[in-house]
Amino acid sequence: MTAKPVINRRHLLVTGAGAMGAGILGLSPRHAFAQSQVSLQLSWLHSTQFAGSYIALDRGWWAEGGLEVSLLQGGPNAPVEPPVVSGTALVGISAADYTAAAVAEGAPFKIIGVAMQNNPFAITSLTENPVNVPSDLEGKRIGMALANTPVLQALCTLNDVDFDAIEIVPTQYSPQPLVAGEVDCLLSWETDLPVALTIQGVDNTTMLLADHGYAVHSQTYIVTEDSLANRRDDIVALMAGEVRGWDAYREDTDAATDLTLAMFPDAGLDLETQRLQAARQVPLMFSDLTDANGFGWWTDETVAANIETLALLDRTVTPDLWDRSILEEVHGS
Amino acid sequence: MTIATPAQRWPVRAGPYLGPILALVIWELGARALSDAFVLAAPSAILIYLSDNAALMARALGVTLGNAAAGFVIGNLAAIALATLAVVWPRSDAMVRGLALLVFCLPLVATGPILRVVFGPGPWPQIVLAALAVYYTTLIPLLVGLRALPTGWLDLVRSYGRGRMAALIHVRAMAALPYLVAGLQIAAPAAFLGAMVGEFTGAERGMGVLTIRAMRGMNVEMTWALASVATAVAVLGYLAIGWIARLFMADEPPVILAAPAEGGRKGSRAFLTVLAVAAAMIAIWWGGLRLLNLSPFFAKGPWDVFEALFLAPDAAATRSTLANAMRETGVFLLPGYVAGLAAGAVLAMLVVLFPAISGTAMPVAIALRSVPIITTAPLVVLILGRGALGTVVLVAIMVFFPTFVACLHGLRQAPGRVMDVMRSYAASPWQVLLRVRIPAMLPAFFAAARMNVPASVLAVTVVEWLATGNGIGSVMALSASLSDYDMLWSSVALVCVLSAMGYACVGLLERRVLAAYAPEQLA
Repeated sequence: MTAKPVINRRHLLVTGAGAMGAGILGLSPRHAFAQSQVSLQLSWLHSTQFAGSYIALDRGWWAEGGLEVSLLQGGPNAPVEPPVVSGTALVGISAADYTAAAVAEGAPFKIIGVAMQNNPFAITSLTENPVNVPSDLEGKRIGMALANTPVLQALCTLNDVDFDAIEIVPTQYSPQPLVAGEVDCLLSWETDLPVALTIQGVDNTTMLLADHGYAVHSQTYIVTEDSLANRRDDIVALMAGEVRGWDAYREDTDAATDLTLAMFPDAGLDLETQRLQAARQVPLMFSDLTDANGFGWWTDETVAANIETLALLDRTVTPDLWDRSILEEVHGS
Repeated sequence: MTIATPAQRWPVRAGPYLGPILALVIWELGARALSDAFVLAAPSAILIYLSDNAALMARALGVTLGNAAAGFVIGNLAAIALATLAVVWPRSDAMVRGLALLVFCLPLVATGPILRVVFGPGPWPQIVLAALAVYYTTLIPLLVGLRALPTGWLDLVRSYGRGRMAALIHVRAMAALPYLVAGLQIAAPAAFLGAMVGEFTGAERGMGVLTIRAMRGMNVEMTWALASVATAVAVLGYLAIGWIARLFMADEPPVILAAPAEGGRKGSRAFLTVLAVAAAMIAIWWGGLRLLNLSPFFAKGPWDVFEALFLAPDAAATRSTLANAMRETGVFLLPGYVAGLAAGAVLAMLVVLFPAISGTAMPVAIALRSVPIITTAPLVVLILGRGALGTVVLVAIMVFFPTFVACLHGLRQAPGRVMDVMRSYAASPWQVLLRVRIPAMLPAFFAAARMNVPASVLAVTVVEWLATGNGIGSVMALSASLSDYDMLWSSVALVCVLSAMGYACVGLLERRVLAAYAPEQLA
């Protein structure tokens, strides 16, 4: 593994050559335009979860659009909303339920793109004692962050499962209680704890909530109404880079993983874990809808489904929380 | 000093090493037995991990250590400045203590994101959190130490026509040195922990970032390698400070004779002080938000909190949420606090009575405090269950170490001449402990009891946030993630007020006890 904090262009040529149009590589377009400085606030630590953004940064696609982008890392004590509200970050990566909560508290947010078409929440169980469908949950002990109780409640309501027949154990953010037999299943992201279990050699089964009616857009791009009105060009350029970056990511997730590890040698990332996470993320992000309309897209129907599920989470939102004008400009439709 | 008989010599020499070796063996065997549970890595596995990932670990350690050191220096300088102010200008004493307490009570969950917004990317949130983690535990022992001197010395300075500054430099500073050392030693692991938790606010690199990664990835070797490195650094810091201090402190502690205090303050004056501190805190709160120009979406002022708690349509619901959460928290907090205090004081006495055990007790004590709580929590929960006991023990661990260090220093403050008298009467170690050392320890013990009020609150909220998911710590984390900043700031205000009340209760008890044993502290 390379330990250089600066990305070696030749290294990337080798690892990523198949993935991209070769024309861009020879150039170094970063300083070709007057650069406008913007920040993108990520929702978690650097990992392949945001690899599309790394590709856009590395290949200079933002620089071409006149942007100098800083990617701000998130973390367990780094909520996305405050930096976006205060203007530290032009765009933040959130999820429809968190955005709805913030809007209810008076934050002037709009969702301008949806990276995860399918919600990544999943229930992970050991293969010898699996949870394959929601009704399997009855009589089981589930480990989860208590903060996610409404998610489980919504799943139960959507599938006529008796919520009271499930025992919730507040395991917060560790997969260890499942292995220790303290719980029968875990509620987490499909790309998070189950990947760790698989890498550690623990046979597990996952049930994606999105396959059972739980429709909440995740990894959504949020901006303030003020930015949307006054910094439109920067936002369009940022999203254009994101779209190109994620399309390149889809072409070769292994190359995207290599780039992630090369860019963040101090992040302690494990190659195998990151590769598996990168591959598992693809079906969450790309669908027939995005194939037809482009990365980040949504329709009135998917928004309606979101509003329905959000209502089960006690979040009342209207369709104008979503603003597709930026994506329409990016995709030229 | 100690004359060892031949029979004693063996345990005295091997004693310091026997304990750690035994602990390592138990650790190795325990880890192997528990290997399927993914909670504990064996020392051998940790060493292998460290040698395989030496470069990564060294870079992370460099980053976190740099931030911790900066925070350590800034926090302790602030403490020394505040303590000096309080002693040179006694009228400011109550205000300094009050504001310092309230600022220390601010929970990480609330301050972290705000520091990140204020400072932007870079190391400053980590440095500030490290400084916040240490200044208070230095300030409190220092305020005690600056008064731990015979009144005659001050009279002497005055009789030479010199003022308070001269007294501070020539007399008080020297008297305070042992207490400052205790404060600095407590601060060493706290600064490191503060810097690590500070990295949770979105830092690019460091040991805290790697810890999150290791925990989520169920990478037990990495988790424990990080914890071991953090512990080793904290232990080294602790020992280095002690070693430097011994170069400066050769004299035996003096006998402190002081006139009994005259009955404590009048009730009305104490009440006025509380009002003044509260008013100052509210003014700083309001002014700070204005000055930093923070968005009202997440930066709530005193009026917003008052409105949320008493005027808003859902005020009753907010109050009952907070009350229930506080009740859940109290169940863990109070037993943990008391147990931690007792354990710290008792172990300090044992170390003084049987010096041979200090070789084992000290590293374990420092390790317990400096192993990141997020690493130990799963192990404690596995052993003790997810019920109240696990949380109580974790709180006790956090309280235990500052108490232990403060009491150890206090016990060693037994006046040399009184000790000589006891020795010449061939008093047993028990009698010396009971009649000389414990009375000498009381000011330090109460200082520890007071500074542990907010420390235990911090501990319980961190455990609730990261491990158990209930109580006020969980309410704060949840409201931050759901952008319910009215609830978050209300919780913070409530935690501050309750901590201050707890502190005041300990203070009342302290005045009664010290009026008999250490009246110089009440002057």
